[in-house]
Amino acid sequence: MRVAQARRFVISDHPLPWLLPLVAILLVFTVYPLIYNIWLSFHEFVPRRRALEFVGTENWVQLWNDTRFWQSLVITFTYFAIALAFELVLGMAIALLLDSDGFGFGFLRGVLTMTLVIPPAIVGMMYLLMEDPQFGVISYLLQSIGLLNPNNPILATASTALAGVLVAEIWQWTPFMVLIFLAGLRALPPEPYEAAMIDGASSFQIFRRITLPMMSKVIAIAVLVRGIDLFRVFDYVFVMTSGGPGASTYSLSLYAWQQTFSFVKWGYGATLSLVTLVIILVIANLFIRIAKVKW
Amino acid sequence: MNGSFSTRMLRTIAAWVVVAVFFFPIYYWTSVAFKHGNDIFNRPPKLFAFTPTFDNFQKVFGISLGSGGITVTPGGGNFYMAPRVWDSIVIATLSTVLAVAIATVAAYALSRMNFRGRHSFVGWVLSTRMMPPVAVAVPMFFIYKNFGLIDTYTGMVLIHALMNLPLAVLLMKSFFDDIPSEIDESAIVDGASRFMIFRRIVLPMAKGGIAATAVLCFIFSWTEFLFALTLTTTSLKTVPVVSSTFVTSIGTAWGNMAALGAASIIPAFIFILLVQKHLVRGLTMGSLKQ
Repeated sequence: MRVAQARRFVISDHPLPWLLPLVAILLVFTVYPLIYNIWLSFHEFVPRRRALEFVGTENWVQLWNDTRFWQSLVITFTYFAIALAFELVLGMAIALLLDSDGFGFGFLRGVLTMTLVIPPAIVGMMYLLMEDPQFGVISYLLQSIGLLNPNNPILATASTALAGVLVAEIWQWTPFMVLIFLAGLRALPPEPYEAAMIDGASSFQIFRRITLPMMSKVIAIAVLVRGIDLFRVFDYVFVMTSGGPGASTYSLSLYAWQQTFSFVKWGYGATLSLVTLVIILVIANLFIRIAKVKW
Repeated sequence: MNGSFSTRMLRTIAAWVVVAVFFFPIYYWTSVAFKHGNDIFNRPPKLFAFTPTFDNFQKVFGISLGSGGITVTPGGGNFYMAPRVWDSIVIATLSTVLAVAIATVAAYALSRMNFRGRHSFVGWVLSTRMMPPVAVAVPMFFIYKNFGLIDTYTGMVLIHALMNLPLAVLLMKSFFDDIPSEIDESAIVDGASRFMIFRRIVLPMAKGGIAATAVLCFIFSWTEFLFALTLTTTSLKTVPVVSSTFVTSIGTAWGNMAALGAASIIPAFIFILLVQKHLVRGLTMGSLKQ
């Protein structure tokens, strides 16, 4: 009898048995870390006693007064904005260029997807080699056309290090935008274009007045998906610069990670990662509301 | 778009040039994998004129190409990486299986059953995708330490499965949404249970979607860095993490690293070409269809 009842419950229309494994694993791996981080942010590891001690709001006060934190916030936003702008504009331009059924275009689109399957950490190493001041191919190119002083290695100079990292980022993820925009372009209805041609609109007018508005949903989703990842950038900066020189490439994620694992500031690291989380959640949810993105 | 022959020509040339620029770093990296040390450190950088060598691959994978064909000699050397490749394959495969299994079941319910709070539930799943890995890795490090999960397949499989779950759920939901629910309804009328419909009708129809979801989960696990860096120390390491450790006291072993990197791209690239039809839907977590 019991078995039959249980069986009926399992196969019934109730969503619970279907959702239970998902809810269980998400609770363990997201809600628990969240609570633990909040708890940890009011504690700090004391090396002398090799134990966590309650420190009240000390970590939060420290955060407020920590110039490194504010600096890393600025760097993260800068990285986010520059990368997103480049990836959107380049992505759209290349998508428009590749939106053709001509011979070889399918092959070219396939080649572009290659950048997406390389681990970002390995991309970081690739660009580390190519930006090496002595034998790096990018450095050599820039030096020989006089754009780069041989005494200022790209990644070891505070003013150019972030740009050096951004090159890797933009190279890897522009094709991501290209693929998404291409799918969007291919799904556009032909009628508005035909009408515009008859009216004699220029190709820029067509792009501005027809393509862009009709692509707004696609663009919004590309911005959301990429934006989330951009804001938590870690791999490139960890591999290429470790935040340096000075603190010129510290992203929030890297700063939080280093505080925890390099400097054994568990409480402060948790505080930093909590702040990163809150910023992403707030911005992303605002964006979802404003851009009316639906899943 | 129509156009004159010359504009079409111009467009084709521009397209090839742009893609060549994007392909160049991959070519260059692969060429480094086939270079002797002194060719790597040459200035100006040698792009084409170098004597190819398999030394790097031999060091990294224990595979050599001699007069007697391909010989495999496992083991030895600081840069012997075949076990690390195996670690990556095991973690990526098992975490993919786990994520896809849990996600498929949940996505079916989210696609077919009407219940209160369904919309906010989907929103919650999406918001877990926004968590910065560092905010999960820090607490997980302490939990894993307590439970002895550091350096274990179990630990890495669980964390990578978790990381891929939001993507897998939303993506599978979009594939299930494509299958008309009239099919389910007529089967219910015929007396089939929900589970039977799921297993016998909906799952076979969503085969392509499951494959696409699995490939993306595999690649995201294959390329993941922060969790693998944080939750492993010595005995277990994935390819991206181990690649960043090729920096030695006498310089960076660029050739060996490039050999490992170049070889690790190929399987992932073949995989993604197989599901190219669903790639955009996957990259946007099911919100855009091709």
